[in-house]
Amino acid sequence: MTSENLEALRREVRGWLRENLPKGWGTPEYVPPIRYSRESHELGREWTKKMYDVGYTGFNYPKEYGGIERPREEVAVIYEEMGRTGTPGGPLSLGLLVAAPAILVHGEEWQKKRFIPKILSGEESWCEGFSEPDAGSDLANVQTTAVRDGDEWVVNGQKVWTSMWEFADWGLLVAKTEPDAPRHRNLSYFLFDTSTPGFSRRPLVQMSGEAEFGEMFFDDMRVPHKNMMDEQGRGWYVAMTALMAERSFGGTGFSGGMAAMGGLGTSDLLGANALVELAKNTKRYGKSVWEESAFRQRIMQTAIELEAMRWSGTRMAAKMMKGTPIGNEASVLKNFQAEMRQRRGDLTCEILGAYSQMVRGSTRAVDEGDHVYNMLRARGATIEMGTSEINRNIIAERILGLPR
Amino acid sequence: MMEFSLSEEQEMLKTMARDFLENECPKTHVREMMEDEVGFSRELWKKMADVGWLGLVFPEEYGGSGMNFRDLTVLCEEMGRALLPGPFLQTVLLVGMPILTAGTDEQKKEYLPKIASGDMVCTLAVLEEDGDFWPDGVQLKATQRGNDYIINGTKLFVNNAKGVDYILVAARTRRATEPEDGITLFLVDTTEWGIYIPPLTTMDQTRQQFEVTFNRVAVPASNIIGELHKGWSVLKEAALKTTAALCAEMVGGGEWVLETTVNYAKERTAFGVPIGSFQVIKHKCADMYSDLEYSRSLMEWAAEAIKDDDRDAHMAVSMAKSYCGDTYKIVCDHGVQIHGGIGFTWDHDMHLYFKRARSSDTAFGDAYYHRELLAQAVD
Repeated sequence: MTSENLEALRREVRGWLRENLPKGWGTPEYVPPIRYSRESHELGREWTKKMYDVGYTGFNYPKEYGGIERPREEVAVIYEEMGRTGTPGGPLSLGLLVAAPAILVHGEEWQKKRFIPKILSGEESWCEGFSEPDAGSDLANVQTTAVRDGDEWVVNGQKVWTSMWEFADWGLLVAKTEPDAPRHRNLSYFLFDTSTPGFSRRPLVQMSGEAEFGEMFFDDMRVPHKNMMDEQGRGWYVAMTALMAERSFGGTGFSGGMAAMGGLGTSDLLGANALVELAKNTKRYGKSVWEESAFRQRIMQTAIELEAMRWSGTRMAAKMMKGTPIGNEASVLKNFQAEMRQRRGDLTCEILGAYSQMVRGSTRAVDEGDHVYNMLRARGATIEMGTSEINRNIIAERILGLPR
Repeated sequence: MMEFSLSEEQEMLKTMARDFLENECPKTHVREMMEDEVGFSRELWKKMADVGWLGLVFPEEYGGSGMNFRDLTVLCEEMGRALLPGPFLQTVLLVGMPILTAGTDEQKKEYLPKIASGDMVCTLAVLEEDGDFWPDGVQLKATQRGNDYIINGTKLFVNNAKGVDYILVAARTRRATEPEDGITLFLVDTTEWGIYIPPLTTMDQTRQQFEVTFNRVAVPASNIIGELHKGWSVLKEAALKTTAALCAEMVGGGEWVLETTVNYAKERTAFGVPIGSFQVIKHKCADMYSDLEYSRSLMEWAAEAIKDDDRDAHMAVSMAKSYCGDTYKIVCDHGVQIHGGIGFTWDHDMHLYFKRARSSDTAFGDAYYHRELLAQAVD
């Protein structure tokens, strides 16, 4: 790969982006679609397809499963150019994050050929049916059943807290297939078409008032036997692969998932600047909140914790670069960032005082009600992707070696 | 470029330090020194000099080995873990460093090789009655008389003052509008006439502190370190390094507490099972681990920032000191609690760390002070 070729590619990508980005992109006139709306999903789908067709996405998978094989240097140039302008995201789907990695490891040849290409191209979206009303932290306590009937399985039950539920074309599903088998060996894993009769879904409204997640219902839904992934009774292990894929996203720290979840950008060293400004601009009992020692202390504690997170992320990334697996360490990062998010949310609302009552939709809400929303949404942070309690168990048992 | 993993040499230094201190500074030695009127062992000091610790960060021309600040913190972690008694940070960073950075050529040639060889043990005397490390606190007067300065007054919280050869004294040599102006550093020979050093009865006996009274003590002007009236900025730089090194000690001590507590929780049984199988105990241990992980990140950042002379070094040190101080205290709280009755006894070593955590937190500004410093930077 000569540098002239790379420069030619750079010009090509730059030109392509100029022609294909949505009209007005990067200017104040551009109004992005509302988060989680159908418009945002469609935009992501069309954008991913366009990029896939010219070979700008779909890397890291073999060609026979629709992967785009390009030299690393070319991929870097493509990412750099896209990073420069910013681009619309992908469709609302767990395809790339969970489905494709799980299918690649556990899927049969026909499943890999059938499903992975359309995940990479963005044409088909995926959701995952995991948690149930009675299976949260105790994930193995799945009650949804699948009963064999000829070449099909008949599924009955309910799933909750489904991410990317609304527009998914396909779903991943763990169901109990051997009611008498011991725990962890009684489950099987299925890929199902969300247009199958007997399947229905509805939004699950969180305490913040929006429906980021959904609920799925199975009422005699029939799934062909060939759509089972891996062997019958091995669903728990497939589910663990899927979870690890999700958690390694969480565990990559600041370069990847955690930063996105915590809403942290690259640090400007005093990451709490926004809080400082808010405190300076908020008057309580006639004087600025920033003058109150109690608030100064807590705001600076937030700044310290943000830096601690940044450097722990850096240290973790350095370990990974050296090839040390960090699996269980992800629990340390996950808990800290989730609990820190709650502390920050609470502190922000306490700075606002009476105005912390005004939510999105009120013309009097401070910063369009975002602070209050973030405070409420943060309550979920210590519950999703393993509760803080489950993660503390992981730290104690798998890192410190305390008895189960 | 920040490096967060230890180099091969640093790994070797760490292993060597742990072995050395396990042999030379077991808890029996620490407890012996707690009862000792001087509070540290000259014999051990000499051995530390022989393995190169006292000259670690000094240039080779002054008898040192020219290693960097991050290397020193690797050593400090192990000293904190072993609760090493003695004025190591005082001698190397609070007295040695000011001589190296602000001293004359004669002073450097005279003192630094002696520090490196272990023949000159030093400490710093800054704090007075108000107990705070700040320029306004320095009220002890030094007045010129011929070629000498006459020092008169009392210093408090002076580490290991009784057993040292020299004390670096911060004294007021003139009144100015800015409290930082008019502070001068004098290197005082402790054998001079008129110095009284009664012990302070303090909680943390692993690091003994003294009151030092100077009764018209004459110090030659040639013993001024740095410029007349301009001592505070020299002191501030030395304190910055010491604070970062103290953070390394705190992380090292905290890790001993975590390991000891986790081992106890695996062995101690109650109601027929190890107490470490109870989730209340597990979760406390997990919190200790997590707090120490983030303390280490901030401490290593601060150490690297100082090593690289980074413009963020002050901020990094304040963040690290505040976080490590809070962490060491809570880790020891959990350590004592999880040990139950035995952890509350004098015989168990847990209280030594518990008390060391408290004395380390107050030294060079506690967590509240450093958070306030950070706040002032964005006022």
